[in-house]
Amino acid sequence: MVNNKFTFRRILAYIFLIALVIIWIVPLAFGILTSFKSDTEIANMGFRLLPINWTLSQYINIFVGNTSTPIVRWFFNSVIISTLHTVFTLIVVSLASYGYTRMEFKGRNTIFWILMCASMFPSVVNIIPQYKIVDTFGWINTIWALVIPGLGGVTNIFLVRQFMLGIPKEYDESAKIDGASDFYIYYKIIVPLIKPVLTVVALFAFTGSWNDFLWPTIVMTDVERMPITAGLSFLQGQYGGFQYIGQLMASATFAIIPTFIIFLFAQKYFLESLSLNSGVKG
Amino acid sequence: MVRKGILQRYNHLLYIGPHLILFAIFGVIPLFFGAYISFTTWDLTGTPQWVGLSNYKEILFNVDSTFHTEFFSSMKNTFMFVVMTVPLLIIFPLSIALALNTKVKGETLFQSIFYMPGLFSISAVAIIWSVVFNKRIGLVNALFHNDVNWISTQPYAWLVIIIVTVWWTIGGNMIIYRSALNGIDTNMYEAAAIDGSNSINTFFKITLPSIKFQLLYTTVMTTLASFNVYGQPKMLTAGGPSGTTSVVMMTIRDLAFGQGKSIAGIASAMAMIFGSIMVIISIFQFILMSKDNTK
Repeated sequence: MVNNKFTFRRILAYIFLIALVIIWIVPLAFGILTSFKSDTEIANMGFRLLPINWTLSQYINIFVGNTSTPIVRWFFNSVIISTLHTVFTLIVVSLASYGYTRMEFKGRNTIFWILMCASMFPSVVNIIPQYKIVDTFGWINTIWALVIPGLGGVTNIFLVRQFMLGIPKEYDESAKIDGASDFYIYYKIIVPLIKPVLTVVALFAFTGSWNDFLWPTIVMTDVERMPITAGLSFLQGQYGGFQYIGQLMASATFAIIPTFIIFLFAQKYFLESLSLNSGVKG
Repeated sequence: MVRKGILQRYNHLLYIGPHLILFAIFGVIPLFFGAYISFTTWDLTGTPQWVGLSNYKEILFNVDSTFHTEFFSSMKNTFMFVVMTVPLLIIFPLSIALALNTKVKGETLFQSIFYMPGLFSISAVAIIWSVVFNKRIGLVNALFHNDVNWISTQPYAWLVIIIVTVWWTIGGNMIIYRSALNGIDTNMYEAAAIDGSNSINTFFKITLPSIKFQLLYTTVMTTLASFNVYGQPKMLTAGGPSGTTSVVMMTIRDLAFGQGKSIAGIASAMAMIFGSIMVIISIFQFILMSKDNTK
């Protein structure tokens, strides 16, 4: 009896999930497939799911030729920006978390909770002043405008701090008795132990930086220096017309490849990331 | 205890210092600077001129001002977006999580498919969906045999924005609900089954109360994220048709960084008003939803 009921429920679940999967995949596939159609096919054939003649001409068009775009340049700008941002995030976050969990100093918890409260303010208020600050540093149209400001965030520190609190103090205290320095304990003992949470932080830092949209369109006005998200937005403005649909689809497909590959290899970290901050969620 | 040397006494600053400096420069100073700017007339380059409350008066009460009309119409559009998307961004991920919880095969694959779009940038996502809704060659018009001009007619323009938003952003909440549902003690379900509770009753009496904290958390976070909407209308409809999908973030951005002279003072005042509304709403949601707990 009970078993039957469960089977019926499970069938309903399958129907629901498979219907949704179709809605989730088909539009994406259609966009990607369109990037393999020729301009004449897009202009004359109306709706078709599959290309009649598969062609790489759209990709060739965006990389070389008359209608070429700086897309490769944008791609590498994004790679550099996101990589630097990730590396700096890992350094800043792991150092700070070590400070807040392993070092004794006056007002330690007070400082930490002030940070948490201050980070509750909606970021909309910060955009205009941040622009001015970045401008004062001479960072407009440089990678630093996209690499540095995000490092002031607090969420990652909270996440890593929670994880570090779970590591027994005995690990480092015995090293301390043996006369190890703080930096030695941080670098040789703690960092290796917090690798799982640092992996998650790195993945979110990289993909977050790769996909950031509003801020890059404000601080990067020089087309050559844009990251790929801002570049695509610029491209849409320039190539919004019907005759460029193929090029736009090829550019968008090209832009999602890196995060797609990262996800393929690291999906378990993304999907299980929340078990790491169960502390946050009661 | 040996007296610590001065270097050792401030040793911790080497660790928390780098972040504190960055936090001060890019988190705290902007907050106060932004508040100050909202009381001035400023074009991002010159010296801000103190004008007291006049920016606020202009935005909130001067019916003849274009700033007033722009702010209120984009505010209305933003609220509309929030009211339409937040419930969907709770219900869809929760239904998916419940369906996955019936122990279907391939649950990791299902989860991956629903989670993946969130890792794509909104500009790529919007470009791909724009061809899906294309009037002439699009998938949707072909499927339903019509020739709707999706992005330039209402209510279709909103529909496009909402569909893309749901497609793009359900992943995070889905994962939260998944782990919440997994944490429920199965004994409670068995006890309910013995008592003859039907599945609807069990859902409302056991499942929902057990994941209350996660529902509260996701509702507040999703609402805040939805208020900050920018990329979807910017890339999909550019605020059109006739400004009906123009949201507050677009208005603030255009005033401060758009073409022509920057009107950063007014934009800052708008940001302050908008930010305060977000804070008030999340506090309100928090109180409202945690009160229910006492039942």
